[in-house]
Amino acid sequence: MGGPCEVLIEVTDEAEARKIADAVAACALRIENKFSRYRPDNIVARINSSAGEPVAVDSETANLLDFAALIHRLSDGLFDITSGVLRKAWTFDGGNRLPAQAEVEALLPLVGWSKVRWLRPMITLPPGMQIDFGGIGKEYAVDQAIQRVTQMSGAAVLVNFGGDLAVTHSRESNRAWRVGIEGIDTAVQRAAMLVDLTAGALSTSGDTYRYVESQGRRLSHILDPRTGWPVSGAPRSVTVAAPTCTNAGMLTTLAMLRGPAAEAFLESEGVRHWVQRST
Amino acid sequence: MVGAASAAAAAGVTEMADKDTKIGAAIAAATCSLLGTATPGVSIAADTQAPWDVESAFLYYGESDGRVKDMSVSAQATRDYGDERKLGIDLSLDSLTGASPNGAMATNGAQTFTSPSGRATYSTPAGVVPLDDTFHDTRFALNGNWSQPLARLYTLNAGLGFSSEFDYQHLGANFGMTRDFNQRNTTLSAALAYAQDTVKPVGGLHAPLSQMTDAVDYGEDGGGGGGGGSDSKNVLDVLLGVSQVLGRQTVLRVNLSYSDSSGYLTDPYKILSVVDPVTGDLIGRTPAPGASGPTGVYLYESRPDSRRKEGLYAEMRHDFSGKVLQVGYRYSTDDWQVDSHTFESRLRLPFGSSSYLEPHVRYYQQTAASFYRYSVAGGSAPLPEFASADARLSDMNAITAGLKYGHVNAGGNEWNARLEFYRQTAKAPSEFLIGNQIGNTQMPDFDAVILQFGYHFKL
Repeated sequence: MGGPCEVLIEVTDEAEARKIADAVAACALRIENKFSRYRPDNIVARINSSAGEPVAVDSETANLLDFAALIHRLSDGLFDITSGVLRKAWTFDGGNRLPAQAEVEALLPLVGWSKVRWLRPMITLPPGMQIDFGGIGKEYAVDQAIQRVTQMSGAAVLVNFGGDLAVTHSRESNRAWRVGIEGIDTAVQRAAMLVDLTAGALSTSGDTYRYVESQGRRLSHILDPRTGWPVSGAPRSVTVAAPTCTNAGMLTTLAMLRGPAAEAFLESEGVRHWVQRST
Repeated sequence: MVGAASAAAAAGVTEMADKDTKIGAAIAAATCSLLGTATPGVSIAADTQAPWDVESAFLYYGESDGRVKDMSVSAQATRDYGDERKLGIDLSLDSLTGASPNGAMATNGAQTFTSPSGRATYSTPAGVVPLDDTFHDTRFALNGNWSQPLARLYTLNAGLGFSSEFDYQHLGANFGMTRDFNQRNTTLSAALAYAQDTVKPVGGLHAPLSQMTDAVDYGEDGGGGGGGGSDSKNVLDVLLGVSQVLGRQTVLRVNLSYSDSSGYLTDPYKILSVVDPVTGDLIGRTPAPGASGPTGVYLYESRPDSRRKEGLYAEMRHDFSGKVLQVGYRYSTDDWQVDSHTFESRLRLPFGSSSYLEPHVRYYQQTAASFYRYSVAGGSAPLPEFASADARLSDMNAITAGLKYGHVNAGGNEWNARLEFYRQTAKAPSEFLIGNQIGNTQMPDFDAVILQFGYHFKL
């Protein structure tokens, strides 16, 4: 999941707690194994190595592709699961290596969901193109885990996969889950904002660890698939609260992609959000 | 050129904003379809931009037979400044009406009394415990409290309080400290509170055990009946407590308390009947010609000017996988020789995903104060130094039983309703009964109903 995963369980019975923790871990592993782009043997690898041949996918993958296609359309192409190839040019490791414009331009023909032929259940990717569920997978896994837990127990549970989290319901005596949103200055290891959550989910997108510096400017790891360059004027961190983690995650990602208009976008959506920018 | 560009950009933003509204709903719908869930409700996330936590309540307390009624609205607001620094503000407004026993005993004939103002009279039929129905008041109270960590494991709290009634003012300050031990499984606390109260009775102060006199109309701006003025009392409270976690489901709390009151501790409106030392019947009195006034001999009560109380309280809470049982016992003793025992229990029963029921029972029992009297013997016998016929100082017990229902709504706020019944039974110790009073006493027992609606929300 690309970060520490935790599950907080409020029960008095240790056996029940273990059962819940095991179920959440199983859920995380299943989704990681199935959709990680780093695995050589999963459905994503098969699609990415199909070399222009159609690939039939299972219904869960198809649902995710349908979802990605819809968000692509709704965001006027800003959200694009084929933009991962741009990472061949960009390394967001906190360093200051910038790619040459030519390097980026050479990759742009391989980016664009509109070049993909998707007719459920068959997907055909032009040779050299890749898809990547990195922008959805973690949040989707959180929601799946919460669903699983809700089916098996009435316990109050918080599932946190690398900063994307959701809760089943409020804690004992209707107390809220108190969640800290990490401040953008990692030197100060303190929560910048405390959020009391009694239901729903929080998703955070930020560049605390993933960025590249150019002439003293910090460029976000959020790439605009239309230019191949990092979105300029993006906030350092965006957190959104929504009924589900996937929903929250889409809103944080789309807000990041709006750059300077991130706050205006979230305001107009009327969702609860926390935006941190460098001062 | 620049102007045109920004105008275009502004137009673009507006367009985008209009369209974005559609995006949010579409994303939510797509998410539901992806996850195979029903359309979710509003996200329930509160943040520190809503830092106030408010418990508001409306309470009705009504005693049987047209006695005291209290309607009260209150709000307890807590603001969290993070790092366990909290400001608390409590506000309450009470409106009291109805009648309360004046201390005189029921007799075979009707009785007339001078009202507290000293200007009028009221009467009680034969065989009925006399009630003073001029009782009404509005009470306003405001308390502020601040708590914060002082050092690792230490928490400090300090507060100021104030309340005001027509005839009573209260000013108080408190200071306390807690310290955690043993990986925060043990908490020791110490608290100190000091209050200075001022009593300014309607109709003024009466000399201890002075006789109730005829009503006199002093005119519009006249003084009180039995002399004017006010008096004060000071109360010092000390509390030492320990709270101990006993395993995962159980918490034990034990408190020791000490309270020292000094000053005017008498109830200025309470009287005693003066009776024949042999028959125990009320000694009659005739008002002055043309005047109206008491038809018997009544004395204003007198209490010692100091009271020292010690108390022990123990409470255990146990969580039976979601059902929380709370059992408490209090023992209190004082130098007025009022010893009391209180047993109290609550059981919280959650049901559904967002509701609970909480039955509550409480039993209270006390012994009479050393100076409690059902009546005072007249004639040649010397008067005691202190005497009060207040039923709250006699042998007394009270039982409370009730049920609370609470529900957390979609916004994470809780509303609750509580209904309780209270029955108080008092008994005059037999050694204080004289002649005909034996086997013929009537104590001002009563029932009361308590109804409360509460709403707990964030602001």
